[in-house]
Amino acid sequence: MADYILGYLKQNMTPGEAGNALWAFIYILIIFGGVSTVVASMSWIERKILAHMQARLGPMRVGPHGLMQVVADPIKLLIKEDIIPDEADKAVFYLAPIIVVIAAFTTMIVIPFGPTHAVTDLNIGLLFMLGVSSLGVLGIITAGWASNSHYPLLGALRSSSQMVSYEIAMGLAVISAVLMTSMQTGVGTLSMIGIVEAQKVQGVWFVFKWFPLGIVAFFIFAVAMVAETNRTPFDLPEAESELVAGFHTEYSGFRWSLFMLGEYAAMIAVSSIATTLWLGGWMRPFASWHGPVITIPGLWDHPELGAVDFAFSLVPAGVFFLLAFFALWGTAKMPKHPIFKIQTLGLGAFGCALGFVGLVLLAPPVRDRIQDIFWFCAKIAFFLYMYIWYRGTFPRYRFDQLMKLGWKVMIPLGLGVLVLTALVGVLV
Amino acid sequence: MTAREFARKIFLIDLLSGLSLTFRYQHPKEIYTEQYPLQRPEVAERYRGAPRLNVNPETNETLCIACDLCALACPEHLIVVTAERNAATRRKELTTFTYDTSRCMFCGLCEDACPTDALELTQDFELAGYTREGQIWDRQTLEHGPSPTIYPK
Repeated sequence: MADYILGYLKQNMTPGEAGNALWAFIYILIIFGGVSTVVASMSWIERKILAHMQARLGPMRVGPHGLMQVVADPIKLLIKEDIIPDEADKAVFYLAPIIVVIAAFTTMIVIPFGPTHAVTDLNIGLLFMLGVSSLGVLGIITAGWASNSHYPLLGALRSSSQMVSYEIAMGLAVISAVLMTSMQTGVGTLSMIGIVEAQKVQGVWFVFKWFPLGIVAFFIFAVAMVAETNRTPFDLPEAESELVAGFHTEYSGFRWSLFMLGEYAAMIAVSSIATTLWLGGWMRPFASWHGPVITIPGLWDHPELGAVDFAFSLVPAGVFFLLAFFALWGTAKMPKHPIFKIQTLGLGAFGCALGFVGLVLLAPPVRDRIQDIFWFCAKIAFFLYMYIWYRGTFPRYRFDQLMKLGWKVMIPLGLGVLVLTALVGVLV
Repeated sequence: MTAREFARKIFLIDLLSGLSLTFRYQHPKEIYTEQYPLQRPEVAERYRGAPRLNVNPETNETLCIACDLCALACPEHLIVVTAERNAATRRKELTTFTYDTSRCMFCGLCEDACPTDALELTQDFELAGYTREGQIWDRQTLEHGPSPTIYPK
């Protein structure tokens, strides 16, 4: 068994490439579990960060610093009554949240967490991701239609027009990055792993390539991806002050939580597209800078890698140690009162668990394998933080302003960047 | 539109300054929320809350001379003072003092009227009770004040 696992890991191939259905299934389970966990924790992180941005405390009661909200929220949603309106179109009403979740999770199979850490490496991976993720709008329209109510219908209409308009700008920005992949090698690629390899070969993340072309394309994508996932400031489909909750007004309990799961999974999916295309995917910062070659017996014996690589390989463990430090510091500052005893113990145990994960990440075999996954996840985390940050800062756009921004600014800008990228590519 | 304004718009300076503001507010020292039962709120100095009947700290005798001026001053007529003449000293002595906090609007006219500073509206604000009768405070409650549960930090 252990030999089989090690033998597979030493192949250094994605399960799709190796044609191994069992490992593909395991990868899918890991990704599904991981994304669901991240979505559950995002509910706590988002409330906490938003609260701090608004000079509030956020959840403080359920567990130390509200940490158990991660568990309490899903439980509450699962045991809530599942209401289906009498006048609703039942079959379509059942189907809508399923479409949203499936569309969001199917895209995950081509996300490259590392050179071999993807379920499969489709040669049209990027096209597949964009195509499947835009299926989500179908789920939203069916939800709005099937609810047989005014607010959901209006929300669905807004959502469809918004997502369709921003998809154009998004596509233009994506194509300009795909054009860049053909430099030096002469062969462009749509494969997600191939795009990151191209950035490795060219020695630059595409966001910095041909300044300002790369960064403008990245900016267009960054705006369009907020609009695509219906997040503030473009959250008109679920505008609380205008449409109650938009397309999921009539949904409750588990079905509602499926919509939330789909929305957050879609956020992770588009963030990973942005990471792959512009931020160098799984590559660490300054990936082409190795520094002087050093060897520490037993700890570091990679003849082709230098001191900088060694320093960066300690970052994942460092991050976990930092988190553990914050948790233990919080434990020390918990109120000293018998009723807080269990919470204090829990937070201390949580801090120790984080520290233990940090220690595991220090072990050389784990350290070398976890690098790619860590940097990819760190970049996704950056985008997720930006989503929350926008939500804490920007007021919602009016619908005509949204359309004006999409059609009069983003699409011409995207076309201009595309033409200029093509020109520069021919001339260079 | 001047060149300066145009540049502001192109480089999204306003959006970025908004983002930096919300980012700065994440610092723990900016938090304004109070953790109420754990953390006692600081009430303004001139806040008028629970009434108290002051006693002389040395002799533990009430400062009230049963002059009935507070009851006369009260717009709601919620103070009832009864007294009886002490035959030996020829002075009025307080027997009962009731104060209906459920009808009180905390105008403070009673404490202004008091010639001996016996009646005072304090900064205690936890006046909730389980019964209407409990809201009518007698002399003993007035002297001791409300006793909310204190949660130590």
